[in-house]
Amino acid sequence: MTEPAIVVEGLCYSYGNIEAVKDVSFQVMPGEILGFLGPNGAGKSTTIKILTGQLNPKRGTARILDREIGHDDPILQAQIGVCFEEKNLYLNMSGLENLNFFASLFGIKKPDSMGVLRRVGLADRAKDRVHTYSKGMRQRMMISRAFINQPRVLFLDEPTDGLDPVTAASIRKTIKEEAERGAAVLLTTHDMHEADELSDRVAFINGGEIVALDTAENLKLEHGTRSVKVRLREGDDVREERIVLDEDGASDRIAKLAASKDLMTIHTEEASLEAIFIALTGRGLE
Amino acid sequence: MKTPGRGSIIAALLKKELIAYSRDKLYLFLTVLTLVFVVAAFWLMPDRVDESITLGISPPLQTIIEEGTEVFTAMGMAPEQIEELQRAGLSAGDEGLDLVELEREEDLSAVIEGKLEVWRTDDGRLILRDREAGQEKPTGARRVTVGVGIALPRGFISRVASGQQDTVVTVYSDATVPPQIRGAMRSFVREAAYQLAGRELPVALPEEDTIILGVDRAGRQVSVRQKLVPMLAFMILLIETFAMASLISVEVLQRTVTAIMVTPARVFDFLASKSIFGTALALFQGLIVLGLVGAFTATNWSLLVAAVFIGAMMFTGVSMVVGSAGKDFLGQIFLAMLFTVPLIIPAFSVLFPGSAAAWVKALPTYPVLHALVEATIYEATWATLWPWLLGGLGWVAVLFGAGLFVLKRKVESL
Repeated sequence: MTEPAIVVEGLCYSYGNIEAVKDVSFQVMPGEILGFLGPNGAGKSTTIKILTGQLNPKRGTARILDREIGHDDPILQAQIGVCFEEKNLYLNMSGLENLNFFASLFGIKKPDSMGVLRRVGLADRAKDRVHTYSKGMRQRMMISRAFINQPRVLFLDEPTDGLDPVTAASIRKTIKEEAERGAAVLLTTHDMHEADELSDRVAFINGGEIVALDTAENLKLEHGTRSVKVRLREGDDVREERIVLDEDGASDRIAKLAASKDLMTIHTEEASLEAIFIALTGRGLE
Repeated sequence: MKTPGRGSIIAALLKKELIAYSRDKLYLFLTVLTLVFVVAAFWLMPDRVDESITLGISPPLQTIIEEGTEVFTAMGMAPEQIEELQRAGLSAGDEGLDLVELEREEDLSAVIEGKLEVWRTDDGRLILRDREAGQEKPTGARRVTVGVGIALPRGFISRVASGQQDTVVTVYSDATVPPQIRGAMRSFVREAAYQLAGRELPVALPEEDTIILGVDRAGRQVSVRQKLVPMLAFMILLIETFAMASLISVEVLQRTVTAIMVTPARVFDFLASKSIFGTALALFQGLIVLGLVGAFTATNWSLLVAAVFIGAMMFTGVSMVVGSAGKDFLGQIFLAMLFTVPLIIPAFSVLFPGSAAAWVKALPTYPVLHALVEATIYEATWATLWPWLLGGLGWVAVLFGAGLFVLKRKVESL
């Protein structure tokens, strides 16, 4: 039986009187991507800061790779990779120098920095200083830095925030590859599409609390509204009708419409994660 | 899982510091500029102190003595003694008194006033030049600046010896001559008159002719160039404070330190690398400056290394405080000035004569500066300077400790 890579139980943290993280509990298995979905200020980044040793929890416990967090633990730190929300790279150093430097902090004698840069599409700019990189390139650098030690646990804080669709897709592909390699990934985002596409499971976090945690499919089934959208011809006009499947008589109504010669199209409608989040919390993700 | 040792992590951080420093064009430029400036300033400063006083006199000394020969004879002086007196007057320059002897009082007055220039040829001949009248500069002669002069009336010695009350001696001086020199000239004339009049002076003389306070450095005065040495070393430490503070604040503001803290590196490693790099950088450049200005001797080199090392640690401590607190470039410059200006004051105090004020002595850098001055200028040894260096180390504990504390708090709060 595979042990969870991350086990969090009753984690709490507050900034003064403001409770940023309230009794948060979850697990992440090796090779699993857990999406932390929530609006800005929900407590996502604070949770990552606690798990990466940047903050000490006020209450609760967390174990990563069966080692307790909250203490200076080089053995644990050597096995994690972190991609911060802010692009904290050494701008006066080249991409290659940045990676080689961090590799040396992990004690990697002969790092495959060029290989890592190739994975994120930066090999041809490896020797250019980072201050000459575009925003997307810097974000790819951030991802590559998080991978340099081939971590068993990856913490990715808003890894595609503000990026163009092509760069974002490229980064998502790399994250999936890391999970396939066996890394446990904790991904924070407020992008519902990203969470839906990448995550094996999704945790909705709001006001420092996890309000729902399951696979995206189960969340949609459990909290979403199942419906079909039907388009009908009415003379020269087109009429749209929405039928909620859980309502009484829905099946009969669909059957009747399906038999009608006026039926143009019929589509199933799936609830979005955002709609579910709004339904659960009463607020949006932005 | 094998993790890297502390040594290899600190070595990696130091390598990164070196790269970051070498790529910071502003501070690299400032460092090179300061090095060139301080060394140039040193070599451009005069390396000797002119201890002689230039005194204009009218009429010439020989004329005065010749006119008073009768008086000297009447006073019982032998002709040989009178000749000796004349020779003494002519060789006054060897004793630090440079006499410019002019026949006419009007010329002396014009010279002091700046209307006439005095030039002296290599054989000692004086040439007066009226520049406003369009006279050319004399060739093969150097200009002599005369700030003060004494005009004696004709037959001065016989007049004074005979007790003539209306003998008028005029002391001319320009505005730049210090009042002490003017006063000394008046006293000189009054005393000469008393001596010639054969009367006792109305004051008792001490048994010793001269009382020197402190070390008598007559003939081996400390030149401005020598006085500059400690200040030059401190100037480079100041620039390194800016550079190091900049490296730290960039790391804090761009949060790169946070990225380091999620690796096996610890806060201790970060602080150690900043301490080692900052101190080594300042020490290295301080020693380069001292080397370029020729401050090292076979006896003082270890003292200088120790003093600059202590200074480097002090300024590194300050740079940690500044780097942690500075929000932007201007804020950082302001804070750096706020902290470093008081630390540099003792270096300036060396340039001025007299001992430093008590508040200057209370500044943290004073003990180190004192050691530097004593070692470079007065050839002091470890035997006399170790208490000062120990005092400097005490201040290092305060400043460096404060720097480490503030930076540690800052890193942990990010």
